[in-house]
Amino acid sequence: MEALFHNLGIGFAVALTFQNIFYCLMGCLLGTLIGVLPGIGPVATIAMLLPVTFTLNPTSALIMLAGIYYGAQYGGSTTAILVNIPGESSSVVTCLDGYQMARQGRAGPALGIAAIGSFFAGCVATVIIALFAPPLAEVALKFGPAEYFSLMVLGLIAATVLAHGSLIKAIAMVILGLLLGLVGTDVNSGVARFSFGVSELSDGIGFVSVAMGVFGFAEIIANLEQKEHREIFTKKVSNLLPSLQDFKDSWASILRGTALGSFLGILPGGGALLASFAAYTLEKKVSKNSANFGKGAIQGVAAPESANNAGAQTSFIPLLTLGIPSNPVMALMIGAMMIQGIAPGPQVMTERPQLFWGMIASMWIGNLMLVVLNLPLIGMWIKLLMVPYRILYPSILVFCCIGVYSISNSPFDVMQTAAFGVVGYIFVKLECEPAPLILGFILGPLMEENLRRAMLLSRGDPLVFFQRPISLTMLLIAAFLLVVVLAPTVRKKREEAFVEA
Amino acid sequence: MKITNGKDFWAGVMFIAFGLGFMIVARNYAMGNAVRMGPAYFPTALGGILVVLGAVVFLRAFVSKVAHPLRVFPFRLWYVLAGLALGVAAYYTQPTRDAIMVWQIGHVLLAGLAVGLMFAAFGERSLWVILFSVVVFGYALKPLGLVMATGLLVFISAWGGHEFRWKEVTIMAAVLAAFSVASFVYGLGLPMNVWPSIWE
Repeated sequence: MEALFHNLGIGFAVALTFQNIFYCLMGCLLGTLIGVLPGIGPVATIAMLLPVTFTLNPTSALIMLAGIYYGAQYGGSTTAILVNIPGESSSVVTCLDGYQMARQGRAGPALGIAAIGSFFAGCVATVIIALFAPPLAEVALKFGPAEYFSLMVLGLIAATVLAHGSLIKAIAMVILGLLLGLVGTDVNSGVARFSFGVSELSDGIGFVSVAMGVFGFAEIIANLEQKEHREIFTKKVSNLLPSLQDFKDSWASILRGTALGSFLGILPGGGALLASFAAYTLEKKVSKNSANFGKGAIQGVAAPESANNAGAQTSFIPLLTLGIPSNPVMALMIGAMMIQGIAPGPQVMTERPQLFWGMIASMWIGNLMLVVLNLPLIGMWIKLLMVPYRILYPSILVFCCIGVYSISNSPFDVMQTAAFGVVGYIFVKLECEPAPLILGFILGPLMEENLRRAMLLSRGDPLVFFQRPISLTMLLIAAFLLVVVLAPTVRKKREEAFVEA
Repeated sequence: MKITNGKDFWAGVMFIAFGLGFMIVARNYAMGNAVRMGPAYFPTALGGILVVLGAVVFLRAFVSKVAHPLRVFPFRLWYVLAGLALGVAAYYTQPTRDAIMVWQIGHVLLAGLAVGLMFAAFGERSLWVILFSVVVFGYALKPLGLVMATGLLVFISAWGGHEFRWKEVTIMAAVLAAFSVASFVYGLGLPMNVWPSIWE
């Protein structure tokens, strides 16, 4: 316990410097902004800012990027409640009851409870990270290549199980991602693989290009194909504070949402999106009058909004302790760490305590800022929502393009991103979820490296993965997940869950 | 046998093609063995798995209960072929540094047409206009500078939307160009020229 306070002390000392407070605030504001705006998510934003963070010191850079992710969870709920379209994919379920509340003239309490629930969840999640990360990192330090390989298998399988749509397509996308990740110079032999003599490709395909093309550009194009219709029901929100009755109705939901979200965030493949879906379903199950759901039940706002914020934050745990990303945003955070010359993994905590604890402390500060800032600023966000998409998307494009260009100051990266835009568009049309591809892409080289080392150590005996207990456990969990999902009853449930949402 | 699910059909084809592609290209590299894996080992294994998975998706297209037409999105093969031909032509006729100005500009237009045709093969206007605007930005930034490149990007991409209002787009281009110059060039110090390089 004493060590915990000592560590948090280090963290707050770092996070409370003027510079870091500033970047935390920037991250939170930017996160809220893109959270409010439909059509641009945290993945595209962080990808856009990656080249910019190069000029910052690593701690400030990561504090800002983290702020974007959890800030987006706050912002997403605003759009969901006021316009009935999710500003962020993780607030899809918030639309169901949040918009109904707004129609009944209760937009204020809906926004209020979402913010309060998020704040509570954020505080709890920060403590959970501080408590759980150190022991987990200690375990991870003992991991050999075989354990790491199995851990990645588990992470990737979990990510596919939790993806929308067809399981087999999701696995195929993971494999495709792994293969794309292998493009470039092979570390062991120095051979430039799959580069077709293009010198730019010998460093590998740019991660930012893939993420921005597949998520950013493809999303804009898909949005443009649909005629936009946005109806803002509430132009003026008054009386944000929920009533005492509202609190009475929703405190249990906030607790449940936080607990579930924190847990699901830690799982590989988890994060904000899954957490909000699961919390809504749970709330509907335990509620005494579940008929109210979808008609403006405050619990249907409180639970998923708490859960997505908790999940967004606890998904940093696998990243910070194992160096394994659990979702595309975390994959980008790994990219950011690598740009700064930090190898993600359990050693980050011991070698760079300032960075590690500073980031954790900044999450709490960021959550406080978000509550304090967001509620009074709500009028500004509503104004922003009235900006039509035809003005928004060229602006997004400009920032994306400048970001991509500045990676290496050459048109090549821009071309590459455009090409991945086409690929991403094809994925959307063929109903292939791109998130598993991104995870595979970032893990490809790591996985090959650990497989090679493990096989070298075992003299070519593949049984090594089953003989080491930790490795075996992880593979068994992965197999179990696959079997469970393929079982007919669960499969049906899973499809229903996603359809309902 | 009838294809019921067009989306699965093409997804299967895509996965098989990628898997085979990676396996075939990997044949150029050393395979090694299980103890000391060569550069070809892991890609070949993954490519094999991808082909198998792709085949399952492909076969599922015939038995799937979900109906999707085979024409998932409008695609014009002719555009791709024409674009490829022009691209190859542009590659082999690259002007030297001291070639006359007209030919240099003409060559850029030729290359641009090739890329545009490739994108335009995918029927949807929003797709190819947006991506084309991005490519134009990438190539225009160095010779024309940030202000003009941003202007081009905004004008072309706005044309890809549903509505195009001259006044609005012009204001937007001016504001975005000013903002980008202020924040990226002066604020963050990114090394980009603001005006055409021949002016400086």
